Amino acid sequence: MTGPAAEPVLPAWSEPFAGPDRARLARARPFGTVARAAAFGGTDGGGQRVAIVDSGVEAAHPAVGGRVVESVRVELAGDDVVILPDPGHDVVGHGTAAAGIIHSIAPGADLLSIRVLGPDNRAKGLAFLAALEWAIESGASVVNLSLSSKSEALYADFHALADRAYFSNVLLVSAANNVPGPSYPSLFAAVVSVAAHDVRDPDVWFYNPAPPVEFGAYGLDVDVAWRGGGRMRVTGNSFAAPHITGIATLIRARHLGISPFETKAFLAATANDPDASPA
Amino acid sequence: MSGRGPEPGLDGALAILREVAWRLEAAARFESTAGAAVLRSVVDAAVALIRAEAASIALHDPATNRLIFRVAAGERGTGVVGLEIDADEGVAGYVFQTGQPIALGEATSDPRFGRVVAEQTGYVPRSLIAVPLGDEAGTLGVLEVLDRRDGAPFDLRDLDAAAVFARQATVAIRATRLERDAASLLAGAIRAIDTEARLSAADVAALASAATAGLDDEGSQAWALADAIARIRESDPGQLGLVLDIVDALGRRSGRPAADAWRRSRR
Repeated sequence: MTGPAAEPVLPAWSEPFAGPDRARLARARPFGTVARAAAFGGTDGGGQRVAIVDSGVEAAHPAVGGRVVESVRVELAGDDVVILPDPGHDVVGHGTAAAGIIHSIAPGADLLSIRVLGPDNRAKGLAFLAALEWAIESGASVVNLSLSSKSEALYADFHALADRAYFSNVLLVSAANNVPGPSYPSLFAAVVSVAAHDVRDPDVWFYNPAPPVEFGAYGLDVDVAWRGGGRMRVTGNSFAAPHITGIATLIRARHLGISPFETKAFLAATANDPDASPA
Repeated sequence: MSGRGPEPGLDGALAILREVAWRLEAAARFESTAGAAVLRSVVDAAVALIRAEAASIALHDPATNRLIFRVAAGERGTGVVGLEIDADEGVAGYVFQTGQPIALGEATSDPRFGRVVAEQTGYVPRSLIAVPLGDEAGTLGVLEVLDRRDGAPFDLRDLDAAAVFARQATVAIRATRLERDAASLLAGAIRAIDTEARLSAADVAALASAATAGLDDEGSQAWALADAIARIRESDPGQLGLVLDIVDALGRRSGRPAADAWRRSRR
Protein backbone atom coordinates (compact mmCIF):
# COMPACT_ATOMS: atom_id res chain seq x y z
CA MET A 1 0.00 0.00 0.00
CA THR A 2 2.83 2.37 0.80
CA GLY A 3 5.57 3.45 -1.57
CA PRO A 4 8.84 1.56 -1.92
CA ALA A 5 10.64 4.04 0.34
CA ALA A 6 8.36 3.32 3.26
CA GLU A 7 9.73 1.31 6.16
CA PRO A 8 8.00 -2.06 6.09
CA VAL A 9 6.15 -2.85 9.28
CA LEU A 10 5.34 -6.53 9.56
CA PRO A 11 3.90 -8.80 12.20
CA ALA A 12 6.64 -9.72 14.60
CA TRP A 13 6.86 -13.34 13.57
CA SER A 14 6.82 -12.53 9.85
CA GLU A 15 9.70 -10.10 10.09
CA PRO A 16 12.56 -12.60 9.60
CA PHE A 17 10.91 -13.90 6.43
CA ALA A 18 10.17 -10.63 4.66
CA GLY A 19 12.04 -8.00 2.70
CA PRO A 20 15.72 -7.31 3.38
CA ASP A 21 15.64 -9.13 6.75
CA ARG A 22 15.37 -12.40 4.89
CA ALA A 23 19.05 -12.28 3.89
CA ARG A 24 19.88 -13.02 7.53
CA LEU A 25 18.37 -16.48 7.15
CA ALA A 26 21.28 -17.50 4.88
CA ARG A 27 23.29 -20.31 6.43
CA ALA A 28 25.23 -23.48 5.78
CA ARG A 29 22.76 -26.29 5.21
CA PRO A 30 23.50 -29.61 6.91
CA PHE A 31 22.55 -31.64 3.80
CA GLY A 32 23.68 -29.25 1.11
CA THR A 33 20.74 -28.84 -1.22
CA VAL A 34 18.08 -31.53 -1.13
CA ALA A 35 16.06 -31.69 -4.33
CA ARG A 36 12.35 -31.26 -3.70
CA ALA A 37 11.68 -34.19 -6.03
CA ALA A 38 13.73 -36.39 -3.71
CA ALA A 39 12.04 -35.03 -0.61
CA PHE A 40 8.43 -35.30 -1.69
CA GLY A 41 8.16 -35.94 -5.44
CA GLY A 42 5.96 -38.66 -6.89
CA THR A 43 3.37 -38.69 -4.11
CA ASP A 44 0.00 -37.06 -3.60
CA GLY A 45 -0.02 -37.71 0.14
CA GLY A 46 -2.02 -40.94 -0.27
CA GLY A 47 -2.17 -43.06 2.88
CA GLN A 48 -1.66 -40.07 5.19
CA ARG A 49 -4.29 -38.68 7.55
CA VAL A 50 -4.23 -34.98 8.29
CA ALA A 51 -6.19 -33.59 11.24
CA ILE A 52 -7.44 -29.99 11.14
CA VAL A 53 -8.20 -28.41 14.53
CA ASP A 54 -10.23 -25.38 13.55
CA SER A 55 -13.76 -24.09 12.92
CA GLY A 56 -14.87 -27.30 11.20
CA VAL A 57 -14.50 -28.27 7.55
CA GLU A 58 -17.28 -28.07 4.98
CA ALA A 59 -17.02 -31.64 3.74
CA ALA A 60 -19.06 -30.95 0.59
CA HIS A 61 -16.88 -28.05 -0.55
CA PRO A 62 -15.35 -28.86 -3.95
CA ALA A 63 -11.95 -27.63 -2.69
CA VAL A 64 -11.60 -30.60 -0.31
CA GLY A 65 -12.36 -33.18 -2.99
CA GLY A 66 -14.52 -35.37 -0.78
CA ARG A 67 -11.47 -36.30 1.32
CA VAL A 68 -12.98 -35.44 4.72
CA VAL A 69 -13.28 -38.90 6.27
CA GLU A 70 -14.32 -37.87 9.78
CA SER A 71 -15.71 -34.76 11.49
CA VAL A 72 -16.00 -34.31 15.24
CA ARG A 73 -16.54 -31.43 17.61
CA VAL A 74 -15.51 -30.75 21.18
CA GLU A 75 -18.23 -29.98 23.66
CA LEU A 76 -18.11 -29.12 27.32
CA ALA A 77 -20.52 -31.01 29.53
CA GLY A 78 -20.09 -29.56 33.00
CA ASP A 79 -16.45 -30.10 33.87
CA ASP A 80 -16.08 -32.83 31.29
CA VAL A 81 -14.98 -32.40 27.74
CA VAL A 82 -16.62 -34.73 25.25
CA ILE A 83 -15.89 -35.43 21.59
CA LEU A 84 -19.01 -35.86 19.49
CA PRO A 85 -19.58 -36.64 15.82
CA ASP A 86 -20.24 -33.46 13.86
CA PRO A 87 -21.90 -32.97 10.49
CA GLY A 88 -19.27 -31.80 8.02
CA HIS A 89 -19.86 -28.09 8.31
CA ASP A 90 -17.83 -25.00 9.14
CA VAL A 91 -19.10 -22.26 11.45
CA VAL A 92 -16.71 -19.65 10.03
CA GLY A 93 -15.02 -20.79 6.83
CA HIS A 94 -11.53 -20.82 8.28
CA GLY A 95 -11.20 -24.58 8.73
CA THR A 96 -12.43 -25.13 5.18
CA ALA A 97 -9.77 -22.68 4.00
CA ALA A 98 -7.05 -24.67 5.78
CA ALA A 99 -8.42 -27.98 4.48
CA GLY A 100 -8.57 -26.63 0.93
CA ILE A 101 -4.94 -25.50 1.06
CA ILE A 102 -3.79 -28.88 2.40
CA HIS A 103 -5.86 -30.74 -0.20
CA SER A 104 -4.43 -28.60 -3.02
CA ILE A 105 -0.92 -29.74 -2.03
CA ALA A 106 -1.64 -33.30 -0.86
CA PRO A 107 -4.83 -34.31 -2.70
CA GLY A 108 -4.43 -37.98 -1.79
CA ALA A 109 -4.44 -37.43 1.97
CA ASP A 110 -7.49 -38.14 4.11
CA LEU A 111 -8.72 -35.19 6.18
CA LEU A 112 -10.10 -35.23 9.73
CA SER A 113 -11.90 -32.19 11.09
CA ILE A 114 -11.96 -31.37 14.79
CA ARG A 115 -14.14 -28.36 15.49
CA VAL A 116 -13.19 -26.50 18.67
CA LEU A 117 -15.34 -23.42 18.32
CA GLY A 118 -18.22 -23.91 20.70
CA PRO A 119 -20.79 -21.94 22.63
CA ASP A 120 -18.65 -21.78 25.79
CA ASN A 121 -15.34 -20.15 24.98
CA ARG A 122 -14.53 -19.49 28.62
CA ALA A 123 -13.13 -22.99 28.79
CA LYS A 124 -11.65 -22.94 25.33
CA GLY A 125 -8.20 -23.93 26.58
CA LEU A 126 -9.62 -27.19 27.88
CA ALA A 127 -11.57 -27.77 24.67
CA PHE A 128 -8.44 -27.13 22.66
CA LEU A 129 -6.46 -29.58 24.80
CA ALA A 130 -9.12 -32.25 24.29
CA ALA A 131 -9.16 -31.58 20.54
CA LEU A 132 -5.39 -31.85 20.35
CA GLU A 133 -5.36 -35.09 22.32
CA TRP A 134 -8.06 -36.56 20.08
CA ALA A 135 -6.11 -35.51 16.99
CA ILE A 136 -2.91 -37.13 18.25
CA GLU A 137 -4.73 -40.38 18.97
CA SER A 138 -6.80 -40.35 15.79
CA GLY A 139 -4.12 -41.91 13.65
CA ALA A 140 -3.29 -38.61 12.01
CA SER A 141 0.21 -38.21 10.65
CA VAL A 142 0.10 -34.41 10.65
CA VAL A 143 -2.08 -32.07 12.73
CA ASN A 144 -2.74 -28.52 11.53
CA LEU A 145 -3.35 -26.00 14.31
CA SER A 146 -4.49 -22.48 13.56
CA LEU A 147 -4.94 -21.60 17.19
CA SER A 148 -2.94 -21.71 20.37
CA SER A 149 -3.64 -21.05 24.02
CA LYS A 150 -2.25 -18.32 26.23
CA SER A 151 -3.26 -20.12 29.41
CA GLU A 152 -0.30 -20.39 31.79
CA ALA A 153 -2.35 -22.85 33.82
CA LEU A 154 -2.41 -25.24 30.86
CA TYR A 155 1.28 -24.85 29.96
CA ALA A 156 2.28 -28.22 31.39
CA ASP A 157 -0.64 -30.01 29.73
CA PHE A 158 0.15 -28.54 26.33
CA HIS A 159 3.82 -29.33 26.79
CA ALA A 160 3.04 -32.93 27.67
CA LEU A 161 0.74 -33.26 24.66
CA ALA A 162 3.31 -31.74 22.28
CA ASP A 163 5.88 -34.24 23.54
CA ARG A 164 3.38 -37.08 23.31
CA ALA A 165 2.73 -36.14 19.69
CA TYR A 166 6.45 -35.98 18.98
CA PHE A 167 7.14 -39.41 20.48
CA SER A 168 4.02 -40.87 18.85
CA ASN A 169 5.35 -39.80 15.47
CA VAL A 170 2.63 -37.21 14.94
CA LEU A 171 3.77 -33.88 13.50
CA LEU A 172 2.08 -30.78 14.92
CA VAL A 173 2.08 -27.75 12.60
CA SER A 174 1.08 -24.60 14.46
CA ALA A 175 0.36 -21.10 13.18
CA ALA A 176 2.43 -18.51 15.06
CA ASN A 177 0.34 -16.17 17.17
CA ASN A 178 1.14 -12.48 16.89
CA VAL A 179 -0.51 -11.46 20.12
CA PRO A 180 2.14 -10.48 22.71
CA GLY A 181 3.15 -13.09 25.23
CA PRO A 182 3.80 -16.80 24.93
CA SER A 183 1.24 -19.10 23.37
CA TYR A 184 1.07 -22.87 23.43
CA PRO A 185 1.84 -25.12 21.75
CA SER A 186 3.00 -22.83 18.92
CA LEU A 187 6.22 -21.85 20.72
CA PHE A 188 7.26 -25.37 21.76
CA ALA A 189 10.30 -26.92 20.08
CA ALA A 190 8.46 -30.17 19.34
CA VAL A 191 6.08 -28.47 16.89
CA VAL A 192 6.59 -26.86 13.50
CA SER A 193 5.57 -23.21 13.87
CA VAL A 194 4.73 -21.09 10.85
CA ALA A 195 4.30 -17.38 10.06
CA ALA A 196 3.37 -15.69 6.79
CA HIS A 197 6.07 -14.40 4.46
CA ASP A 198 5.59 -11.60 1.92
CA VAL A 199 5.91 -13.63 -1.29
CA ARG A 200 2.70 -14.53 -3.13
CA ASP A 201 3.78 -18.04 -4.03
CA PRO A 202 2.66 -21.33 -2.44
CA ASP A 203 5.89 -23.01 -3.58
CA VAL A 204 8.07 -20.63 -1.57
CA TRP A 205 8.91 -21.30 2.08
CA PHE A 206 11.78 -20.22 4.27
CA TYR A 207 13.52 -21.78 7.22
CA ASN A 208 14.49 -19.55 10.14
CA PRO A 209 17.46 -20.88 12.14
CA ALA A 210 16.58 -18.44 14.95
CA PRO A 211 13.37 -19.89 16.43
CA PRO A 212 10.77 -19.95 17.96
CA VAL A 213 9.04 -19.49 14.60
CA GLU A 214 10.98 -21.74 12.24
CA PHE A 215 9.12 -21.47 8.96
CA GLY A 216 7.74 -18.70 6.78
CA ALA A 217 5.15 -19.76 4.20
CA TYR A 218 2.51 -18.37 1.83
CA GLY A 219 -0.04 -16.45 3.89
CA LEU A 220 -0.49 -13.21 1.94
CA ASP A 221 -3.45 -12.81 -0.45
CA VAL A 222 -4.18 -16.52 -0.52
CA ASP A 223 -7.20 -17.60 -2.57
CA VAL A 224 -8.91 -20.09 -0.25
CA ALA A 225 -12.11 -22.10 0.03
CA TRP A 226 -14.68 -20.54 2.37
CA ARG A 227 -17.95 -21.74 3.77
CA GLY A 228 -21.10 -22.04 1.68
CA GLY A 229 -19.06 -23.38 -1.24
CA GLY A 230 -17.43 -19.98 -1.60
CA ARG A 231 -13.92 -18.72 -1.97
CA MET A 232 -12.12 -15.81 -0.32
CA ARG A 233 -8.84 -13.95 -0.60
CA VAL A 234 -7.22 -13.96 2.82
CA THR A 235 -4.07 -13.00 4.72
CA GLY A 236 -2.69 -14.33 8.00
CA ASN A 237 -0.34 -16.78 9.69
CA SER A 238 -3.16 -19.27 9.99
CA PHE A 239 -3.22 -19.57 6.19
CA ALA A 240 0.57 -20.03 6.04
CA ALA A 241 0.55 -23.04 8.38
CA PRO A 242 -1.59 -25.30 6.10
CA HIS A 243 0.94 -24.85 3.28
CA ILE A 244 3.66 -26.33 5.50
CA THR A 245 1.18 -29.00 6.66
CA GLY A 246 0.60 -29.95 3.02
CA ILE A 247 4.32 -30.22 2.20
CA ALA A 248 5.00 -32.13 5.43
CA THR A 249 2.23 -34.57 4.47
CA LEU A 250 3.90 -35.22 1.12
CA ILE A 251 7.29 -35.72 2.80
CA ARG A 252 5.80 -38.22 5.26
CA ALA A 253 3.98 -40.04 2.44
CA ARG A 254 7.19 -40.30 0.45
CA HIS A 255 9.33 -41.41 3.41
CA LEU A 256 7.02 -43.63 5.40
CA GLY A 257 7.79 -43.83 9.10
CA ILE A 258 10.12 -40.85 9.38
CA SER A 259 9.99 -38.95 12.62
CA PRO A 260 8.80 -35.39 13.23
CA PHE A 261 12.37 -34.09 13.48
CA GLU A 262 13.34 -35.81 10.24
CA THR A 263 10.29 -34.27 8.58
CA LYS A 264 11.32 -30.88 9.91
CA ALA A 265 14.84 -31.42 8.57
CA PHE A 266 13.41 -32.17 5.10
CA LEU A 267 11.30 -29.02 5.30
CA ALA A 268 14.40 -26.99 6.21
CA ALA A 269 16.58 -28.66 3.57
CA THR A 270 14.06 -27.94 0.80
CA ALA A 271 13.31 -24.37 1.90
CA ASN A 272 13.95 -21.59 -0.56
CA ASP A 273 17.28 -19.83 -0.58
CA PRO A 274 16.52 -16.57 1.21
CA ASP A 275 18.73 -14.60 -1.18
CA ALA A 276 17.49 -16.02 -4.44
CA SER A 277 13.76 -15.78 -3.88
CA PRO A 278 11.66 -13.01 -5.39
CA ALA A 279 10.89 -10.25 -2.91
CA MET B 1 -13.96 -16.06 65.09
CA SER B 2 -15.68 -16.19 68.51
CA GLY B 3 -13.40 -13.50 69.96
CA ARG B 4 -14.56 -10.99 67.36
CA GLY B 5 -18.22 -10.94 68.19
CA PRO B 6 -21.04 -12.40 66.15
CA GLU B 7 -20.53 -12.91 62.44
CA PRO B 8 -22.66 -10.69 60.25
CA GLY B 9 -24.44 -13.72 58.80
CA LEU B 10 -25.04 -14.42 55.13
CA ASP B 11 -27.76 -11.80 54.72
CA GLY B 12 -25.59 -9.12 56.28
CA ALA B 13 -22.55 -10.11 54.25
CA LEU B 14 -24.60 -10.15 51.07
CA ALA B 15 -25.95 -6.66 51.78
CA ILE B 16 -22.39 -5.38 52.22
CA LEU B 17 -21.25 -7.10 49.03
CA ARG B 18 -24.21 -5.69 47.10
CA GLU B 19 -23.31 -2.21 48.30
CA VAL B 20 -19.72 -2.72 47.08
CA ALA B 21 -20.97 -4.09 43.75
CA TRP B 22 -23.20 -1.05 43.14
CA ARG B 23 -20.34 1.29 43.89
CA LEU B 24 -17.99 -0.63 41.60
CA GLU B 25 -20.50 -0.57 38.79
CA ALA B 26 -21.11 3.15 39.26
CA ALA B 27 -17.36 3.81 39.22
CA ALA B 28 -16.94 1.67 36.12
CA ARG B 29 -19.68 3.61 34.36
CA PHE B 30 -18.05 6.90 35.22
CA GLU B 31 -14.73 5.69 33.87
CA SER B 32 -16.16 4.06 30.79
CA THR B 33 -17.04 7.34 29.13
CA ALA B 34 -13.38 8.39 29.35
CA GLY B 35 -12.29 4.92 28.20
CA ALA B 36 -14.61 5.05 25.22
CA ALA B 37 -13.05 8.36 24.19
CA VAL B 38 -9.62 6.72 24.09
CA LEU B 39 -10.97 3.78 22.09
CA ARG B 40 -12.64 6.18 19.70
CA SER B 41 -9.32 7.89 19.08
CA VAL B 42 -7.77 4.49 18.35
CA VAL B 43 -10.34 3.63 15.66
CA ASP B 44 -10.04 7.17 14.25
CA ALA B 45 -6.28 6.67 13.94
CA ALA B 46 -6.76 3.21 12.39
CA VAL B 47 -9.04 4.64 9.70
CA ALA B 48 -6.67 7.51 8.96
CA LEU B 49 -3.41 5.58 8.90
CA ILE B 50 -4.60 2.38 7.19
CA ARG B 51 -6.65 4.59 4.82
CA ALA B 52 -9.72 2.49 5.45
CA GLU B 53 -13.42 3.17 5.03
CA ALA B 54 -14.27 2.22 8.60
CA ALA B 55 -12.97 0.68 11.81
CA SER B 56 -14.66 -0.55 14.96
CA ILE B 57 -13.91 -2.14 18.30
CA ALA B 58 -16.12 -4.84 19.80
CA LEU B 59 -15.57 -5.83 23.42
CA HIS B 60 -16.45 -9.16 24.99
CA ASP B 61 -19.17 -9.17 27.64
CA PRO B 62 -18.42 -12.19 29.84
CA ALA B 63 -21.93 -12.15 31.31
CA THR B 64 -23.64 -12.74 27.97
CA ASN B 65 -20.68 -14.16 26.02
CA ARG B 66 -21.33 -11.65 23.27
CA LEU B 67 -19.15 -9.18 21.44
CA ILE B 68 -20.57 -5.65 21.66
CA PHE B 69 -19.42 -2.97 19.23
CA ARG B 70 -18.50 -0.03 21.44
CA VAL B 71 -16.87 2.51 19.12
CA ALA B 72 -16.49 3.02 15.39
CA ALA B 73 -14.95 5.47 12.94
CA GLY B 74 -15.44 6.28 9.28
CA GLU B 75 -18.53 7.77 7.66
CA ARG B 76 -20.01 4.40 6.78
CA GLY B 77 -18.92 2.59 9.89
CA THR B 78 -20.62 4.30 12.78
CA GLY B 79 -23.92 2.43 12.38
CA VAL B 80 -22.33 -0.58 14.01
CA VAL B 81 -22.05 0.94 17.50
CA GLY B 82 -24.24 -0.90 19.99
CA LEU B 83 -24.58 -3.96 17.80
CA GLU B 84 -24.02 -7.32 19.51
CA ILE B 85 -22.93 -10.62 18.02
CA ASP B 86 -22.28 -14.03 19.56
CA ALA B 87 -18.67 -14.43 20.66
CA ASP B 88 -18.39 -17.74 18.85
CA GLU B 89 -19.89 -16.64 15.57
CA GLY B 90 -18.46 -15.29 12.39
CA VAL B 91 -15.06 -13.88 11.66
CA ALA B 92 -14.97 -11.60 14.71
CA GLY B 93 -15.89 -14.56 16.92
CA TYR B 94 -13.23 -16.69 15.28
CA VAL B 95 -10.56 -14.08 15.84
CA PHE B 96 -11.74 -13.52 19.41
CA GLN B 97 -11.52 -17.24 20.15
CA THR B 98 -8.30 -18.09 18.34
CA GLY B 99 -6.39 -14.85 18.91
CA GLN B 100 -5.29 -15.08 15.28
CA PRO B 101 -5.34 -11.84 13.27
CA ILE B 102 -6.70 -12.35 9.75
CA ALA B 103 -7.50 -10.27 6.71
CA LEU B 104 -10.31 -11.28 4.38
CA GLY B 105 -11.25 -9.83 1.06
CA GLU B 106 -12.57 -10.32 -2.41
CA ALA B 107 -15.12 -12.95 -1.61
CA THR B 108 -15.55 -14.41 -5.05
CA SER B 109 -18.87 -16.12 -4.54
CA ASP B 110 -20.10 -15.76 -0.98
CA PRO B 111 -19.63 -12.39 0.69
CA ARG B 112 -21.28 -13.59 3.89
CA PHE B 113 -18.46 -12.78 6.24
CA GLY B 114 -19.96 -9.43 7.11
CA ARG B 115 -23.57 -10.39 6.98
CA VAL B 116 -24.50 -10.05 10.65
CA VAL B 117 -23.19 -6.53 10.76
CA ALA B 118 -24.08 -5.73 7.17
CA GLU B 119 -27.74 -6.63 7.59
CA GLN B 120 -28.10 -4.15 10.40
CA THR B 121 -25.93 -1.32 9.16
CA GLY B 122 -26.48 -1.54 5.42
CA TYR B 123 -22.73 -1.59 4.86
CA VAL B 124 -21.39 -4.71 3.14
CA PRO B 125 -17.60 -4.57 3.17
CA ARG B 126 -15.52 -5.93 0.30
CA SER B 127 -12.68 -6.76 2.63
CA LEU B 128 -11.87 -6.66 6.31
CA ILE B 129 -9.15 -7.08 8.88
CA ALA B 130 -9.99 -8.59 12.25
CA VAL B 131 -7.37 -8.47 15.01
CA PRO B 132 -7.76 -9.60 18.62
CA LEU B 133 -7.54 -7.10 21.47
CA GLY B 134 -5.61 -8.81 24.19
CA ASP B 135 -2.48 -9.48 26.14
CA GLU B 136 -1.03 -12.13 28.42
CA ALA B 137 -4.03 -11.76 30.71
CA GLY B 138 -6.54 -12.69 28.04
CA THR B 139 -8.50 -11.57 25.01
CA LEU B 140 -10.86 -8.61 25.50
CA GLY B 141 -12.38 -8.11 22.09
CA VAL B 142 -11.75 -7.54 18.42
CA LEU B 143 -10.67 -4.59 16.28
CA GLU B 144 -12.10 -4.65 12.76
CA VAL B 145 -10.94 -2.50 9.86
CA LEU B 146 -13.10 -2.42 6.72
CA ASP B 147 -12.13 -1.75 3.09
CA ARG B 148 -9.09 0.17 2.00
CA ARG B 149 -10.13 3.40 0.31
CA ASP B 150 -7.85 2.69 -2.67
CA GLY B 151 -9.78 -0.55 -3.26
CA ALA B 152 -6.66 -2.73 -2.85
CA PRO B 153 -6.73 -5.80 -0.64
CA PHE B 154 -5.24 -5.52 2.85
CA ASP B 155 -1.63 -6.69 3.08
CA LEU B 156 0.65 -7.89 5.88
CA ARG B 157 1.57 -4.30 6.75
CA ASP B 158 -2.07 -3.34 7.16
CA LEU B 159 -2.53 -6.41 9.33
CA ASP B 160 0.38 -5.44 11.52
CA ALA B 161 -0.70 -1.81 11.69
CA ALA B 162 -4.10 -3.03 12.89
CA ALA B 163 -2.35 -5.21 15.47
CA VAL B 164 -0.49 -2.13 16.75
CA PHE B 165 -3.79 -0.25 17.13
CA ALA B 166 -5.29 -3.27 18.85
CA ARG B 167 -2.42 -3.26 21.34
CA GLN B 168 -2.98 0.44 22.01
CA ALA B 169 -6.66 -0.20 22.59
CA THR B 170 -5.81 -3.07 24.93
CA VAL B 171 -3.48 -0.88 26.96
CA ALA B 172 -6.17 1.83 27.09
CA ILE B 173 -8.78 -0.66 28.27
CA ARG B 174 -6.51 -2.11 30.92
CA ALA B 175 -5.56 1.39 32.08
CA THR B 176 -9.11 2.72 32.33
CA ARG B 177 -10.50 -0.62 33.40
CA LEU B 178 -13.27 -0.27 30.90
CA GLU B 179 -13.70 -4.02 31.16
CA ARG B 180 -13.89 -3.94 34.91
CA ASP B 181 -16.12 -6.76 35.92
CA ALA B 182 -17.69 -6.24 39.32
CA ALA B 183 -18.30 -9.97 39.84
CA SER B 184 -14.69 -10.96 39.25
CA LEU B 185 -13.41 -8.07 41.37
CA LEU B 186 -15.70 -9.10 44.20
CA ALA B 187 -14.72 -12.75 43.88
CA GLY B 188 -11.07 -11.72 44.13
CA ALA B 189 -11.78 -9.62 47.21
CA ILE B 190 -13.71 -12.44 48.88
CA ARG B 191 -10.91 -14.90 48.20
CA ALA B 192 -8.39 -12.43 49.65
CA ILE B 193 -10.42 -12.02 52.83
CA ASP B 194 -11.12 -15.73 53.16
CA THR B 195 -7.61 -16.50 54.36
CA GLU B 196 -8.64 -19.77 55.98
CA ALA B 197 -10.14 -20.92 52.69
CA ARG B 198 -13.46 -21.78 54.27
CA LEU B 199 -15.28 -21.04 51.03
CA SER B 200 -15.06 -23.27 47.99
CA ALA B 201 -14.55 -21.71 44.56
CA ALA B 202 -18.23 -22.37 43.88
CA ASP B 203 -19.21 -20.56 47.11
CA VAL B 204 -17.13 -17.53 46.15
CA ALA B 205 -18.62 -17.46 42.67
CA ALA B 206 -22.15 -17.82 44.05
CA LEU B 207 -21.62 -14.98 46.55
CA ALA B 208 -20.16 -12.67 43.93
CA SER B 209 -22.95 -13.52 41.54
CA ALA B 210 -25.65 -12.91 44.18
CA ALA B 211 -24.08 -9.58 45.06
CA THR B 212 -24.08 -8.42 41.45
CA ALA B 213 -27.52 -9.76 40.52
CA GLY B 214 -29.59 -7.12 38.81
CA LEU B 215 -26.58 -4.89 38.32
CA ASP B 216 -27.06 -4.77 34.58
CA ASP B 217 -30.67 -3.59 34.78
CA GLU B 218 -30.26 -0.97 32.07
CA GLY B 219 -33.81 0.28 32.48
CA SER B 220 -33.10 1.53 35.98
CA GLN B 221 -33.58 5.26 36.46
CA ALA B 222 -30.70 5.32 38.90
CA TRP B 223 -28.31 4.14 36.19
CA ALA B 224 -29.76 6.69 33.80
CA LEU B 225 -28.91 9.30 36.41
CA ALA B 226 -25.41 7.89 36.90
CA ASP B 227 -24.81 7.83 33.13
CA ALA B 228 -26.07 11.39 32.77
CA ILE B 229 -23.73 12.56 35.52
CA ALA B 230 -20.85 10.70 33.91
CA ARG B 231 -21.49 12.55 30.64
CA ILE B 232 -21.66 15.89 32.43
CA ARG B 233 -18.45 15.12 34.27
CA GLU B 234 -16.73 14.67 30.91
CA SER B 235 -17.92 17.96 29.49
CA ASP B 236 -17.62 20.55 32.22
CA PRO B 237 -16.50 20.35 35.86
CA GLY B 238 -18.50 23.53 36.55
CA GLN B 239 -21.71 21.84 35.45
CA LEU B 240 -20.87 18.88 37.63
CA GLY B 241 -20.77 21.18 40.67
CA LEU B 242 -24.17 22.55 39.72
CA VAL B 243 -25.60 19.05 39.33
CA LEU B 244 -24.12 18.08 42.68
CA ASP B 245 -25.84 21.07 44.30
CA ILE B 246 -29.17 20.16 42.71
CA VAL B 247 -28.92 16.50 43.70
CA ASP B 248 -27.92 17.52 47.20
CA ALA B 249 -30.89 19.89 47.42
CA LEU B 250 -33.22 17.15 46.20
CA GLY B 251 -31.71 14.83 48.75
CA ARG B 252 -32.30 17.30 51.58
CA ARG B 253 -35.88 17.75 50.44
CA SER B 254 -36.41 14.03 50.73
CA GLY B 255 -35.15 14.31 54.28
CA ARG B 256 -32.03 12.24 53.72
CA PRO B 257 -28.56 12.80 52.39
CA ALA B 258 -28.59 12.51 48.59
CA ALA B 259 -26.37 9.47 48.44
CA ASP B 260 -28.70 7.62 50.79
CA ALA B 261 -31.70 8.47 48.66
CA TRP B 262 -29.94 7.23 45.58
CA ARG B 263 -28.96 4.06 47.34
CA ARG B 264 -32.47 3.56 48.62
CA SER B 265 -33.84 3.81 45.10
CA ARG B 266 -31.73 0.80 44.21
CA ARG B 267 -33.44 -1.50 46.66
